[in-house]
Amino acid sequence: MAKYLCIQRGLPGGVEGGSPSPEQMQQMYAAFQAWQSEFGKNIVDLGGRLGEGRLVASTPKIDGSFIEIKELIGGYMIVSAASLDEASEIARGCPGLVGPGSGVEVMEIHAP
Amino acid sequence: MNPGSLPEHFFRHESGRLVAVLSGRVGVGHLELIEDAVQSALLTAVETWKSAPIPENPSAWLYRVAWNRLVGDLRQRTRRLAILEKHSGTAFPLSSVDPEIASEKEIADDLLHMLFFCCDPTMPVESQLVLSLKTLCGWDVREIGLRLFITEENVYKRLSRARSHLKARSRPGASSHPADPDSVAGVLRVLYLLFSEGYLSIRLDFAVRNDLCLEALRLTDLLARSSVGATPETAALMALMHFHQARSSSRVDGSGGLVLLEDQDRSLWNRDLIQRGLGWLELSARGETYSRYHAEAAIAAEHSLAPSFSQTDWGKIVHQYDLLISVEPSALHELNRAVAMAEATGSAAALARLENALPPSWLVLSYQWFAVLADLHFRNGAQDLGNRYFLKALESAPSPAIKDLLSRRLASYAGKTKAE
Repeated sequence: MAKYLCIQRGLPGGVEGGSPSPEQMQQMYAAFQAWQSEFGKNIVDLGGRLGEGRLVASTPKIDGSFIEIKELIGGYMIVSAASLDEASEIARGCPGLVGPGSGVEVMEIHAP
Repeated sequence: MNPGSLPEHFFRHESGRLVAVLSGRVGVGHLELIEDAVQSALLTAVETWKSAPIPENPSAWLYRVAWNRLVGDLRQRTRRLAILEKHSGTAFPLSSVDPEIASEKEIADDLLHMLFFCCDPTMPVESQLVLSLKTLCGWDVREIGLRLFITEENVYKRLSRARSHLKARSRPGASSHPADPDSVAGVLRVLYLLFSEGYLSIRLDFAVRNDLCLEALRLTDLLARSSVGATPETAALMALMHFHQARSSSRVDGSGGLVLLEDQDRSLWNRDLIQRGLGWLELSARGETYSRYHAEAAIAAEHSLAPSFSQTDWGKIVHQYDLLISVEPSALHELNRAVAMAEATGSAAALARLENALPPSWLVLSYQWFAVLADLHFRNGAQDLGNRYFLKALESAPSPAIKDLLSRRLASYAGKTKAE
């Protein structure tokens, strides 16, 4: 089984959904639990949200454009799957990843 | 606790408990900061419990997270104030507050205080309803709008008015509102309204309405078990809610349409809830008080205990309506009384009584009025009058569900003239 890096990205034109209500949070949590138990075998690293970051590079000026990229990336996780298609379906099923204003980029990790 | 499983409505009810407990500790004047801290704690929980198991005591966990956030926010605010006012006398004495999670008894007391706060009689009753749903039931603006059938903007307005009102009333550092025996009547009124919104609203689907009823029942139960709220009126309201709740599942058919009392499958009625209702009814029969809740509970009890529609003791129900009208005069009660009277002594007597009444204009133009008149005239053999009122009732029906209900009720009479 190959491993895939899933990166959550903000998409242009997305609507800023307000803060969820407690009842919605519980539904989100239940949906996540269901997803987790369905794909438990495939989840290598649940990852998490990404916070403040810094690009370390030889050319210092590049920092300017990195700020925009940083804001677009919400979080990451690593799943194992037989194919890119399967990995994409697992990522698509994860509650909160794919929706208005948010998508997920799935990339195979080439093991040496 | 089972890994990954939380009780139904856990977040919503925790939200209500946390807001109440934190308000008890730092004062309801900080309601907005408290609500922010609670919201943030719940979001943290959702994130954290995704990858780590749910802690053994999730309530205590949530409380700690919310408390830390609130303390941080309060310190920040106090510092800002101190800089602005150039003195530190307004600093909130956080060190004097016990940061430990409250006991169940304390939580119940705090919730009760919050209930009295939300039902502050110096606020408009609409604000009381909205504030109760927000702080005690943990619904957000969108969910409240959906339940009370008002716009989100309207909910916002009512909420902010209620909050600034409470802020003005609460002195800094004053931690709780006394649960005053004189205020119990006002609290009961709000709880009754909450329940009625859920029970009678014709515009919402069953699940949403039932949610409102269950919340009203939960809060009334809280009041009924407190020393200040354990009055005969509270017991009567508990009884009323239990009888109505017992029949709730038979009031809608498979497609969500309303089912007439006459056609309801009585075997679906929840016997356990009826029994508990009778227990509360017994408790309500203490002292001298006879409130509208007593009369309404007695009427509901009569229906709940009748083996069938035709075997209902309509005479008793008419008598209870008389008592209800004597404590709470209302044209709508008169109309209901007429319906019961038609069953007890015949439609002619009921019509005569209604025709002598002087109903207010809002009722005369309502579908209820037309529908009852149509029904009584049909039964009395006056087909033309019956048809005329039947059409008027259909015209003024506020929803398709009501229109459908009226048709099913009256079409058989109306059809007779067409056939003839």
